[in-house]
Amino acid sequence: MPAKKKRAGVAMLAAICLATSCLGERRNRLEVEKPITDEDRSHWAFQPVRDTDPPKVRNESRIRNGIDHFILSRLEAEGLSLMPSADRRTLIRRLSFDLRGLPPTPTEVRAFLEDNTDYAYGDLIDRFLADPAYGERWAQHWLDVARFAESDGFEHDQVREDAWRYRDWVINSLNVDMPYDEFVRMQIAGDELYPGDESKAIATGFLVSGPDMPDINLDEERAHTVLNEMTSSTGLAFMGLTLECAQCHAHKSDPVSIEDFYRLRAVFANMEFPEKNKQLSHVFLENDAEPPPSFVMKKGDFRSPGELVDPAFIRIANPMGMAVPKSSGNSKTSGRRKALSDWLTHPEHPLTARVIVNRVWQHHFGSPIVGTPNDFGILGERPTHPGLLDWLAGELIDGDWSLKDLHRLMLQSAAYRQSSRPLGDSWELAVRQDPGNRLYSRMNRKRLEGEAIRDAMLSVSGQINLKQGGPGVHPPLPHEVAITLLEKQWKVSEDESEHTRRSIYLFNRRNLRFPMFDVFDRPDANASCGRRNVSTTAPQSLTLLNSEFSMKASLHLAGAIINKANRVDHEKWIRSAYETLFARAETHSERSAGLSFLKGQAASLETEGRQPASLAIPEGLSGGIDSYEGAALVDYCLALFNLNEMIYLD
Amino acid sequence: MNAPKQYCTGLNRRQFLTNVGGGIGAIALAKILSEENLLASSQGPAGGVDLMAVKTPHYEPKVKRVIYLFMHGGPSHVDLFDPKPDLIKYSGVPLPESFGSVMTRREVAKNPLLPPIRPFRPRGKSGLEISDFLPHMAKVADDLCVMRSCGGDSVNHPQSVYQMNTGSILMGRPSLGSWVSYGLGSENRDMPAFVVMPDPEGGLKGGPPAWGSGYLPATYQGTTMRPGKNPILNLRSPEKVSGAQQKSTLSLIQKLNTSHIEYRDYDDSLAARVRSYELAYRMQTAAPDIVDLRGESESTKKLYGIGEEPTDEFGTRCLLARRMIERGVRFVQLYSGGTLGWDAHKDVKENHTRYCAKTDKPVAGLIQDLKLRGLLDDTLVIWGGEFGRMPMSEKGTGRDHNPWGYSVVFAGGGVRGGMAYGSTDPVGLRAEEDPVHVHDLHATILHLLGMDHERLTYFHNGREERLTNVAGKVVHGILS
Repeated sequence: MPAKKKRAGVAMLAAICLATSCLGERRNRLEVEKPITDEDRSHWAFQPVRDTDPPKVRNESRIRNGIDHFILSRLEAEGLSLMPSADRRTLIRRLSFDLRGLPPTPTEVRAFLEDNTDYAYGDLIDRFLADPAYGERWAQHWLDVARFAESDGFEHDQVREDAWRYRDWVINSLNVDMPYDEFVRMQIAGDELYPGDESKAIATGFLVSGPDMPDINLDEERAHTVLNEMTSSTGLAFMGLTLECAQCHAHKSDPVSIEDFYRLRAVFANMEFPEKNKQLSHVFLENDAEPPPSFVMKKGDFRSPGELVDPAFIRIANPMGMAVPKSSGNSKTSGRRKALSDWLTHPEHPLTARVIVNRVWQHHFGSPIVGTPNDFGILGERPTHPGLLDWLAGELIDGDWSLKDLHRLMLQSAAYRQSSRPLGDSWELAVRQDPGNRLYSRMNRKRLEGEAIRDAMLSVSGQINLKQGGPGVHPPLPHEVAITLLEKQWKVSEDESEHTRRSIYLFNRRNLRFPMFDVFDRPDANASCGRRNVSTTAPQSLTLLNSEFSMKASLHLAGAIINKANRVDHEKWIRSAYETLFARAETHSERSAGLSFLKGQAASLETEGRQPASLAIPEGLSGGIDSYEGAALVDYCLALFNLNEMIYLD
Repeated sequence: MNAPKQYCTGLNRRQFLTNVGGGIGAIALAKILSEENLLASSQGPAGGVDLMAVKTPHYEPKVKRVIYLFMHGGPSHVDLFDPKPDLIKYSGVPLPESFGSVMTRREVAKNPLLPPIRPFRPRGKSGLEISDFLPHMAKVADDLCVMRSCGGDSVNHPQSVYQMNTGSILMGRPSLGSWVSYGLGSENRDMPAFVVMPDPEGGLKGGPPAWGSGYLPATYQGTTMRPGKNPILNLRSPEKVSGAQQKSTLSLIQKLNTSHIEYRDYDDSLAARVRSYELAYRMQTAAPDIVDLRGESESTKKLYGIGEEPTDEFGTRCLLARRMIERGVRFVQLYSGGTLGWDAHKDVKENHTRYCAKTDKPVAGLIQDLKLRGLLDDTLVIWGGEFGRMPMSEKGTGRDHNPWGYSVVFAGGGVRGGMAYGSTDPVGLRAEEDPVHVHDLHATILHLLGMDHERLTYFHNGREERLTNVAGKVVHGILS
């Protein structure tokens, strides 16, 4: 901070201290802001993104693009190599889930297998990227980071009627491949950048997506809490900085001072707050007037304003030396957020591009290059492949920040196409030398998220409704869950066809995660989440085994299988199930297990003396079916939905 | 695929193959797994780790488990556990100016003081004073330790519910029960370590985040359970699926999953998932067994007020709590009070008469029953709400929220019985002597469980987080 400003700040502080006769406390509270040192700047993430040439490798034949140079050179240094490519059926399934969150249809699989041109794989990527399902899939990744929910949280957890517009904005922006720098700018300052265009302002929904308590007692407390949350989330989402540590005191490990925090917060200080009990607007609204003065809030307490601060950027991430202009030149807004958006997306910003390429990488490769995607600070993990991270960041910026091109780059690499299963002689060595797969000596196996599991089950059972956009839908909740809510907090959507829409469109109540997602580690929306936990629990198994949702999917899948075979034909049923669910034919032993199950289950249901009315009969049958045969197939479908292959992606 | 290929603790791949791979399938697997007893595992980036393994506490614990009776809405300390003669003396008079300004939820600071609704009397050998609202708890007074100087930071329900459960007034932090599961693991692998039984009326202010695991792995969050036929969500097989039918479906699942692993180098996470099905299957037996009260004697049921109104409902849940801790559940939390609960803004007499009638006998019955069975020595029972209530009246007969001074009651191992600790000011407005902040309560609970609150930490978003944030001190004055 320039010396002149600082003096002004100190003078003001002195004035306040005199006014409140708290001179005695002054010494304690005036923890002097530490200047940024060379040592602070030496941390890798605060260094400029380096222009790196992909390193040389010995085995050029495995190279498909620059990524492979980085991955393979590290592997070769350890005496390892890339695993051979997975087979085509595995690849199309992998690509389909990674890009769309849905399994490939049997038709898509057949077309890909029959396409023998050199472009088949690239064309497939392009087709999936062009599918609206791509935006729907990737929006969830971003919404985790944006701690997005459609209600306030706290006691009343009031619905935010227009919050879905931001969700749709994210989906559409990804689908039209809005450049990432623009994607960032709009979320910080869409309204300032495009005054008068309501559709652009919707993006600022990011800023106001956090929890809020409209009935909190004091207006100042509410504004303080919301602004601090907004500042922290901006740091986490775009910069991978844990700024929130600095809202009470200087950051314990990163060179971020409490002044840094409140200077950045001052960018948002002109936010218009509604009166008590009224909800925040779904977009960021500014007061017309001059922004109010901003202070350091000592110990993060809204009752303890300290030193006066001017809006400014986090010093350690500002080697460009950019500043917030005094005035915007337009009367409506302060211009501070526009300045922030310019700073964040400046090509020399050390964090923005690195942070997003790391996020994209994580979802494709199953683990990020920087293990702590929301913390690039001192306590965060170091990149496993720093050169690769910087090279990707450079490619992103040089490619006009196109995310779709970034996907193409990653997906085209030989590293991405590797087998995740033992294949060839190199496996044993890879597992021994690289037990945690930090070097990407093979593909990581990925556990699908609850959202993708649900979508896949709806899709393969033919129930899915692919309608796009619009307000969140409310499928029925289990009674036991519904009663934990206040009255009318979950009004089931009347139109039943809405109940089978993609997971991204389910109403996202802050105080209640949808049970199926909750059990599979969906983060709560109270703080930005850069990386989900992956737990394996008995309640997950109970959900897939016993829930009404699983039963319904099994009934529908069984019905479709019977209709296709047009008669009782166990071999055909099994083949059709494996092709629909797993994009492959069953193995010999899977066939014999299936045959003996279907036969045995039908027989024992009959032996049990079960009345046909007491059996689960497949849905949507075009003809009749023996009840015991039908019920046995339903059980078979339920079993397949519970297989590891259903929720783990090779 | 990650991590060295040790299939599961103590079994190497060869043993795995011998036992399972050779086509013996799910039956052999079931046997192994029932011996292994694994409820849940979770893979962070590092690969399969058993998150629920029993862990050794920092030092010798006084208690092994906790039953937390949460009186939702905020019971009135000045009407139940904190006798204030001055409130009677100055009844009808506004709070003297000397008390300074008071932050309240509903601007009641200037209202006249309201005397205790029912008289207090010394109880038991200790002479601990308890109101006539609670004749049954009065009978176990010598087992109770009343902390009369508790305090929190917010006058609002959800913030205070969060704080009492997670230490923070913000939503989304890990709850006490999840910290305890994280710190100690689970003794019973057929059941979750942390069970919550909400009031059947629902409507807890703040909702499920009150028992969430925040940034801790989901494994540690509270599992809600209720009395009756379907105690855990999706526990029972679907309506049209019989037990035998499901068993054969499960065995197909295990068979196919087992061969799937063989082609994937015995990936730990896949193996953990195979185990989770065994455990799900066992939970289907274990949980209904807990809620099956047929084996309980009539005299036990009577102790809890089961079979009579208005105690039947809460009494049943209290008895379930005992049955759970007997089976190794680590932390059981019960809520009394739906949307409004103990929130007596309008009429303390009406409200507390109702809620005390529902809960007093069951709570006392639980303490007596635990004692009879020798369980009270290593169990901590906690009774308390998210805050207390104001000495001033609201609308003449009610009281507003009071987070500045209120009572929380402990009973059980390591805690002195028949004592009152700390005090509020002469009218019960603010904690005065030996104040006990929520952080101190939490530090003390962890201490009794053998854990140092400063050492029970979890690294998250750049910080070693703990339940007590940067505060908390153990209340040594109540320890026996």
